[in-house]
Amino acid sequence: MQDNNKVKEYDALVIGAGIAGGEAALNLANVGNRVLLIDKDLTVGGKMIMLSKVFPTLDCSACITTPKVSEIARHSLITTLTSTEASDIVQKDNGTFEALITTQPRYVHIEDCTGCQLCEEACPVNVEDEYQYGLVGRKAAFIPFSIASPRAAAIDIENCTLCGACERACPTNCIDFTQTVEKFMIECKTVIVATGFQLFDPTLIPRYGYGRFKNVITSMQMERQLAPTRPFNTVLRPSDGKIPDNIAYVLCTGSRDKTVGTPICSQVCCMYSTKQAQLLMGALPMADITLYFLHIRAFGKGFNEFYAQAQSMGVEYVKGKVAKITEKEDGNLILRYEDISTGKVTETEHDMVVLSVGILPNQGITGLFKNRKLELDQFNYISQSNPLESPATTSIKGVFVAGVASAPMDIPDSILSAGAASSEAANYIRQLSVKQVEV
Amino acid sequence: MKSKIGVYICHCGGNISDYVDVNKVRESVKEIQGVEISIDTMFACADSSQKQIAEDIANKKLDALVVASCSPKLHYPTFSAVAERGGLNKYNYVHANIREQVSWAHSDNKEGATEKAIKVVKSAIARVKESVPLEPIEVKAQKSIAVLGAGVAGMRAAKELADLGIQVYLIEREHFVGGRISQLDFLCGADITGKELVTQLYEKIHKHPNVTLFTGAEVIEKGGSIGNFKVKVKITPRYIKDECNPEQLQKAIDVCPVEVEDDFNFNITKRKAIYRNYDSEYPHFPTIDSKNCTRCGECEKVCSSIDFTQKEEIIDLTVGSILAATGFDPYQPKENEFGWGIENVVTLPQFRRIINMCDNKLIYKGKEIKDIAYIYCVGSRQVEGDNKYCSRYCCTATLYTSILTHKKYKGIHSFHFNRGIRTYGKQEVIYDEASRLGDIFLQSYEYDPPVVTKVNGKTNVKIEDLLTGGKEIEVNADLVVLVTGMEPRNDCSIGDVLKIPKGRDRFYNEIHMKLRPVETVIDGVTIAGACQGPKNIMESMNSALSAAAKSYSIVNKGELALEPIIAKVDKDTCVWCGKCAEACPFDAITKVNANGKEIAEINASVCKGCGMCLPVCESDSIDMDGFTNTEIESMINVLAEN
Repeated sequence: MQDNNKVKEYDALVIGAGIAGGEAALNLANVGNRVLLIDKDLTVGGKMIMLSKVFPTLDCSACITTPKVSEIARHSLITTLTSTEASDIVQKDNGTFEALITTQPRYVHIEDCTGCQLCEEACPVNVEDEYQYGLVGRKAAFIPFSIASPRAAAIDIENCTLCGACERACPTNCIDFTQTVEKFMIECKTVIVATGFQLFDPTLIPRYGYGRFKNVITSMQMERQLAPTRPFNTVLRPSDGKIPDNIAYVLCTGSRDKTVGTPICSQVCCMYSTKQAQLLMGALPMADITLYFLHIRAFGKGFNEFYAQAQSMGVEYVKGKVAKITEKEDGNLILRYEDISTGKVTETEHDMVVLSVGILPNQGITGLFKNRKLELDQFNYISQSNPLESPATTSIKGVFVAGVASAPMDIPDSILSAGAASSEAANYIRQLSVKQVEV
Repeated sequence: MKSKIGVYICHCGGNISDYVDVNKVRESVKEIQGVEISIDTMFACADSSQKQIAEDIANKKLDALVVASCSPKLHYPTFSAVAERGGLNKYNYVHANIREQVSWAHSDNKEGATEKAIKVVKSAIARVKESVPLEPIEVKAQKSIAVLGAGVAGMRAAKELADLGIQVYLIEREHFVGGRISQLDFLCGADITGKELVTQLYEKIHKHPNVTLFTGAEVIEKGGSIGNFKVKVKITPRYIKDECNPEQLQKAIDVCPVEVEDDFNFNITKRKAIYRNYDSEYPHFPTIDSKNCTRCGECEKVCSSIDFTQKEEIIDLTVGSILAATGFDPYQPKENEFGWGIENVVTLPQFRRIINMCDNKLIYKGKEIKDIAYIYCVGSRQVEGDNKYCSRYCCTATLYTSILTHKKYKGIHSFHFNRGIRTYGKQEVIYDEASRLGDIFLQSYEYDPPVVTKVNGKTNVKIEDLLTGGKEIEVNADLVVLVTGMEPRNDCSIGDVLKIPKGRDRFYNEIHMKLRPVETVIDGVTIAGACQGPKNIMESMNSALSAAAKSYSIVNKGELALEPIIAKVDKDTCVWCGKCAEACPFDAITKVNANGKEIAEINASVCKGCGMCLPVCESDSIDMDGFTNTEIESMINVLAEN
């Protein structure tokens, strides 16, 4: 719940309200700490709440994320602020922190919004829906998605024409164009950085044709097509709305690829592609699914069994790096690759191609800290100063890292990492209260 | 009997409504007597829907609630909490599962699915009508935690909990701490050795006022329940006095005439019956291996610290939570498996010990080693055999070992017979480095593993190589290293004592693989490190700290509210036949004397509400709060209706 009665003192500031930040906030609050949880997005839940199902359990992602989100929203010791960022974080001599918190205007009073969506109906502006990864449109007055938390409207002021239609339509008068940026200072004892990741932009590999060939989509776009809150209620290829029957996955798009500056493996793409392949087999029983891969990294608990299950369901795995994709007149795509198992350069036609995009660290985190330096590693993830003994510690005493902010990882590893961060943060808070900490 | 019932039917965003006609379900229950409102909703679990349900309860003065949605395993706690927030007693909430048990199970038959969903919802309504409010059982929670296993995960968790002010009993089965990591002399991507890591952690716990370390100790019995576990710990004697003389002890080791295979070095060396595994090992004095000691008395003659009068001890502890970090065993190859049994075929753990013992030249059994063949996935991803899982750490560990051999010795050639290298995440750089050093990678087809044979004194590895389009390639190796994976502990008796369930891979199972990876179905028992599944050190540390966080949250308040779903005895009709006590798996039932009559009594804080006592009761004197016979019969009546 958004809390306007802003308490200025907290035990912990958690930056990022995805699954890692959320878990860390809950762990801390459950043992009596007051937490300020902030996210720059309009909703909490991060990337996970947008997913279809999760590997290898095939649980519906929304269904297992919403209880956490709901628990966070209701927790009496957690204050959640969306559209909010922290900056100018200063560590004081006694080991505690000060931070400037900035909330961007939503132009809607969240506590009064009932989520009735009448403003959406009234708004005449259509723009691409970023929450559906551009698959469909949305209005300039909109609710991010049906299970967003808070489930309240927001005005996209950059695209808004200020026509006033939404204000007139709103039955509770919660739309308020006079809202401005809010800034205030907080004091806290510890900071957890759970700023997550961004997806690789496949236009950086022009030979795959993303952005030029309509039927080349990203794995996140496929994820949305398969999610319970999916836009089309089935899987469609963008060029003509045909239901595809021969889908290719290009793995390691933007991972393990020095030419785009990412030499490392993204750790999740093999498994999410395998999962999507299984879901597609269910959604489109007649479709052929082929995964073009370098190595299948099915390393976690239950993963290798899940990979074997996909193979036995008939998902085809072809070892070979796709060199180039070309488009035919009918919108079908030709993949050119070296089929390693035969040693031959081969071309194969598919009617839809999914690029399994990798993950990249979010930028700009180091700039949040003023008098201390938050070190990054050679891959621009937050550097873990003592990975073997205290994986959540960073170069700043009292600042801990959770989830993908420190390295690519899947959901369970993010949960474990958040557990470690919260455990160490709780201890840091305790140390501050019993003795002076050297910083 | 409840008469203002709210019924909510969830679409689950298509998971249910794609196969079940949710509108029809709603319509067919709305006229049932006692149903005040019936509403369908896209996601009942979404925060906005939860708010709506809670408001409806308050505004419409509902006296009971049914939500038809997914498995109660997922959302029973969610909606019972909603009921409470709306002002209901949470036991006046009944959960109907129309996803796992209906829409997903009958996706081929929409009509049938809808019909079944209607029955399931009707039976939930029938049950909720008969539901009675219950109050949680409040118990005190001990602010102490037993950590089982003093490997790096266990020690790390112990340190964290002790710093948080919790009394920690750290219980290690061996006579030394450090577990598997103390056997490692180099760690991938770290500038310290495994032994140094163990030392660092030991120094943080051994003088910590909140940590009590027991070595040679094992939990042999567990009673009680969350907040108040009673554990019995068996401590085997070390036969060395606490005040000991190091010089004399070294003499004692020297004079011991018994030599046995040293399992710390994976049987590639021998040790005495009085021994320590390595010089800087902790606790810092040796032990006597009572299985192999002949009691010849030679050691006693030179050392006053030896004490054969020490006896086995049993101690009782009461703890609020138990954190199990009992680790793994390396896979032990079977006879002839990839040439196991040939003299220059070793396992990866053995090879790492060999590297540690050879300074300038890599020598094994008197021969210098230059050409090394690594065979991956031994005991993991088995085509034949039960271990279908990937052991996660071994690709990186092997490549790092190979890199190290290049740095330490001259003229090494490494051949990696792999099944697809899995250096996930940042570990990719290790693969890259090994490739740049000139290591050769050969990959076998899934069902066609490499073959190891001994030909003319050379050990030959033959493979049909996928990377060269199926060419047959042979390597004559000086040494073949079998990259053995992780297995659950061969002796998993502690899991049986704690009753932690195991998965198909035989590792201990968490409650939920994705979101609750360190909690178990046994309330108050958490799991950490490789006993839950293969992990590297950093991953084990994350899991140890997470388990510490969860165990801490159980005990930190000093009190707990337990579920009141327990069995109750009707004092008037019970005639004590003892069958219920026999059936009870938790020893919650005892015979008592009530007004001159022998009857059964149930200990509320021990009873788990499993229901085993109910069907064996001949006089039908036991009933279960929350699942009363009246409730269950009302459900059966509805389900049996035509």
